[in-house]
This record gives sequence, C-alpha cells and structure tokens, in this order.
Amino acid sequence: MNTAVSEQDGGRTTGAAPGPARPRRSFAWLGLMPFLLFLFLFLLLPTYGVIRKAFIAKDHTFTWTGISDAITKERAAFSQSLKVSIVSALLGVVFGTLLAYAAATAKRPKWLRSLVSAFSGVAANMGGIVLAFAFITLLGRQGMGTKILTAAGWSPYGSDWFDLTGFWGWNVVYLYFQIPLMVLVTLPAIDGLKASWREASASLGGTAFTYWRRVGLPVLAPSLLGGFLLLFANAYSAFATAYALNTTANLVPVKIASFLQGDISGRSPMPFALATWMILIMGASMGSYLLLRKRAERWQQA
Amino acid sequence: MATSMSMSTSTSSGRSEKRRRRLGRLGPNLVLITAAVFFIAPLVSMTRFAFQTIPMVKLGWSTLFDRWSLKSLTEAFKEPFFWPTLALSLKLAAGTVFITLALLIPTGLYVHLRLPKARGLVEFLTVLPYVVPPIALVAGVAAFFRPNARWFLNSNYSLVPLYVVMALPFTYRSIDAGIRAIDVRTLVDASRSLGASWPATLRRVLLPNMSASIIASAFLTATVVLGEFTIARTLAKNTFPIFSFDYFGRKAQGGISLALFTLVGTTALLGFFTLVTRGKARRQVTRF
Repeated sequence: MNTAVSEQDGGRTTGAAPGPARPRRSFAWLGLMPFLLFLFLFLLLPTYGVIRKAFIAKDHTFTWTGISDAITKERAAFSQSLKVSIVSALLGVVFGTLLAYAAATAKRPKWLRSLVSAFSGVAANMGGIVLAFAFITLLGRQGMGTKILTAAGWSPYGSDWFDLTGFWGWNVVYLYFQIPLMVLVTLPAIDGLKASWREASASLGGTAFTYWRRVGLPVLAPSLLGGFLLLFANAYSAFATAYALNTTANLVPVKIASFLQGDISGRSPMPFALATWMILIMGASMGSYLLLRKRAERWQQA
Repeated sequence: MATSMSMSTSTSSGRSEKRRRRLGRLGPNLVLITAAVFFIAPLVSMTRFAFQTIPMVKLGWSTLFDRWSLKSLTEAFKEPFFWPTLALSLKLAAGTVFITLALLIPTGLYVHLRLPKARGLVEFLTVLPYVVPPIALVAGVAAFFRPNARWFLNSNYSLVPLYVVMALPFTYRSIDAGIRAIDVRTLVDASRSLGASWPATLRRVLLPNMSASIIASAFLTATVVLGEFTIARTLAKNTFPIFSFDYFGRKAQGGISLALFTLVGTTALLGFFTLVTRGKARRQVTRF
C-alpha cells in the first residue's frame, strides 16, 4: 500500500489530480498493443501459416502425412543438416573457447582482447553471400589458399574428401561465424574464472590438470553446452551461406527455399513441414540454451 | 653466505618460472596466430581476386604486383541494376531502422516505467525470431500473405516489417541495455517536475541519454538489411545482395568486388558508429 502511494507521487507530482490506481492498471497493457500487434502480424501469423500448412491437407482435414513425409522423403537433407550443424558446432565450441581463453589471458598487447571481442561481434553476423564469396576465392579449386597449400605439398583437393561445396567445405566456412559466436558466449564465462580459485587449487596440491578437471571445466560447462546449442541452431538455420556455396546443396534450409520457389501455387506441404521441423528444432535448442545461460551467469557476477 | 645462496636459488627459480610462463604462453599465442590467419586469409584472397586480373595459375612471386586495378568495381557501378538495387537496399535499411526505433523505444520505456511485470514476456517475445529463422519466416509469409494479402507481398517494402522482426533480438537487447544504464524514473520525474511535457521529456532528456544504444541498434539493423539474402531471394525482390549474387553468376570478379564493397561499406558504418559513441557506450554492455 505504502509503496503504491509513493510510486504514484513520484510519477505525477505536477500531473493531473491523482486518479484511482486500479482502472489505470487494467489499461496499462494497452501501451504494449503496438508492439504486440506488430509481432502478431509479422511473426505469429506467419508461424501459424507454416504450421497450418504442414498439418492441413488439401481437403481441409488434419493430417500427419506432411510432417512424416518430410522426414522420410528428405531424410538425406535432414541427416546432412544435422551432421554439419553438430560438427561445425563442436569445432566452433573447441576453437572458440581456445581463442577466447587465449585472448582473455593475453597480457601484452592491451588492445588484443578488445580487438578479438570487437571482431567477433562483426564476424559472428557475417554469414551470407559475402562470406561464401570470400571462401570461394580462398579455397575454391582456383583459390589462393588452395594454391598455397598445394605448393606446400598438402593439396586440399588431392584426396577427394574436401570440396568447398560439400560437407567439409561448409564446415570450414561456417566456422568463420561459429568461432566468433562462441567467443562472444564464453568470454564472460572465462572472465568469471577467478585467479583465487586456481591459487586455492594449487595450494591444496592440485596440478593444472586437477584445476581444469575439478574447477575450471565444471564452472565453464553450462556455457560450453549452451554455446554448443546456440551454434547448432545457428548452423542448422543458415541459408544464404550454404546457398551461395552450392545452390543445390542437400541441406534443409536450401530444400525449403527450392520447394518454395518451385511450387508457386503453394499447394505442396513439403516446405512448410520442413519449416515446422526447423521451428521445433530451433525451439528445443534455443530454449535449452536460455536455461543453461541462466545457470552459467551464476558465476559471472563480479 | 647463507643469504647469497638463498638469493641465488630464488633468482634461478624465478628465471625458470619465467621460462615456464613463456612456454605456457606458447599454446595461446599459437591459437591467436592461427586464428588471425584463418580470419584474415579469406579477406585477403577476396581483395586479390576482385582487384588483380591475373588467373590463379599465373600468380606467383614475379607477378604479385602486376595488373591491379579497380576496374571490376567501376564496371559494376555502370551496370543498369547497380544503382536501383543499392537505392532499394538503402531505403529498406532506413525504413527498417525507423520502424525498429519507433516501435522499440516507446515499448522499452513503457515496460520500464509503467509495466515492469511485462518485462519477462517482452524479452521472451523478442528472442522468438531465433526460433523462427528467416527461411521459416519467409515460408510462413508466403503461406499466409499470398492468399490473404497479395498486395502486401507485391510491394518491395513488405520486406521492411520482416527485417524489423529479424533484427529484433539484437535491437531490443541494445535498446533495453540503454534504458537500464540510465535512471529513467529519476530523469522522467525531474523533467516532469520542471514542467516539461512528455514529448519534450522524450526528445530532450531520454533520447540524448540513450543515444549510444540507439545508434548501436540502428547500425546493427542497417548491416542486417544491407546483407540480407534469404527473404529477399525467396520473395524475389531485387535488393543489392541479390544483384551482387546474380552479377557473380555472370562476372565472378565483379560479383566479388561488390561483396567486398558491401563489406567495406558496413565496416565503415561500424567505424563511424564507434567513433560517435566512444566512451558513451562503455557503460552499456550488450550481452549476447
């Protein structure tokens, strides 16, 4: 009661005569209307549109066939997408954490740390055609990096496991935004590792290995796992980069686009069923990521 | 004697400590150097490809400095679709920035001042675009608006609200951080008790205090729009990234130089933004 009065006083010292608080509070949600209406129109309605088209057959009845067809008929695209997302997320977690650790512990050039974090902010958003083009000039068959590596006796195209438009090519290109994204996620967590913990571990007779196994990694674990989920979602939904490398790539986002463009009438449920699966996968991984981030933040208070 | 001995042992142990520390930095330094090579190499090779007209087979130490020119870029400037698509993308960026700010600043302030209990809900809604990535969003837009509002999809500017939604997770967080960094309630109370109207309070007190975060989110939005490919491609809108991509198909070198042009342009925007907000932004850390 008291707080309510003082709040009102603070809010309207020179305003009109204070009215009863109750009715205003019930109208307070109206102030969010423009924002909610906007999201309703341009986010929720399209999402509803996708899910509806995935589940409603031509004769307006509910059906699971679209959803199950997507999995069975596009199994190759699914497994390819999952594989590239998992591999690029794992590599991103490892290299991103190493880079963040190296940048956070480097003392000598003072600007190094801020350079790494500023660059990560830019590169994490860099995907798309610019990135794909840059790598075509580097690791394409006529690329500069290909030439240098070949001259050094290690030709990427020598054995046939590497192709810029194939699995390992996608991974290498994705790492250009995955590593920086991981740096952004783990840098605060690594800063949260206090020097006193390491000293405490050492004075109790612990080696560097004991410190990492018993203190460092358990504290970092939620950030690492959360980062993995974020990177996974990021790679799974990447369209422009994959498409610019290979317009016929057998990846889920590229498939959705080609179905959408091929079928102007929008009758086939396939792109919408694939998109529904994507929304489900994104929801699961982003949801877990947000939960884990809450846990990770526990150690990050100064 | 005893003291000199203990001194010598302490210095020798200090030296080995120093050596061990230097060896300990070997790993991190190796990581930093490898990362630098990985992140710089594509930019270097892209620049070379765009501006040096020598086929890769003939490139070597003797020809390293031959035949560099900006011709591929100046030729791209003369393409009939260059200026129209660039103008469209710039207009889309401006429109997206405007709507983002017009929508998010009042909403952010309103939630902060009047409806703190809605904060969780608003935050949740602003991360939803991560769950519905552009390719799924555009599928939904095609599914819903094609039968119900074709006129909407026919306009090039139908991209604007979709870009606002796409950039929402970044932009809202930046605006929200800006609001949290200042004591909004005290500022509003002070301004109102000095007799300022609400619009004057907004214009002369709140906005100047939030300028760093406003500029940050405007910049982020602009870079997202100037590089956006997925939605524009699927809705068949001829924006600048689409033109760059198609031009690459016809003239590889020209397409690459346009990609470089985009990269340099957006980086210049970023540099400009850092200069403008230097110092101000320090308090407002945006957490991913």
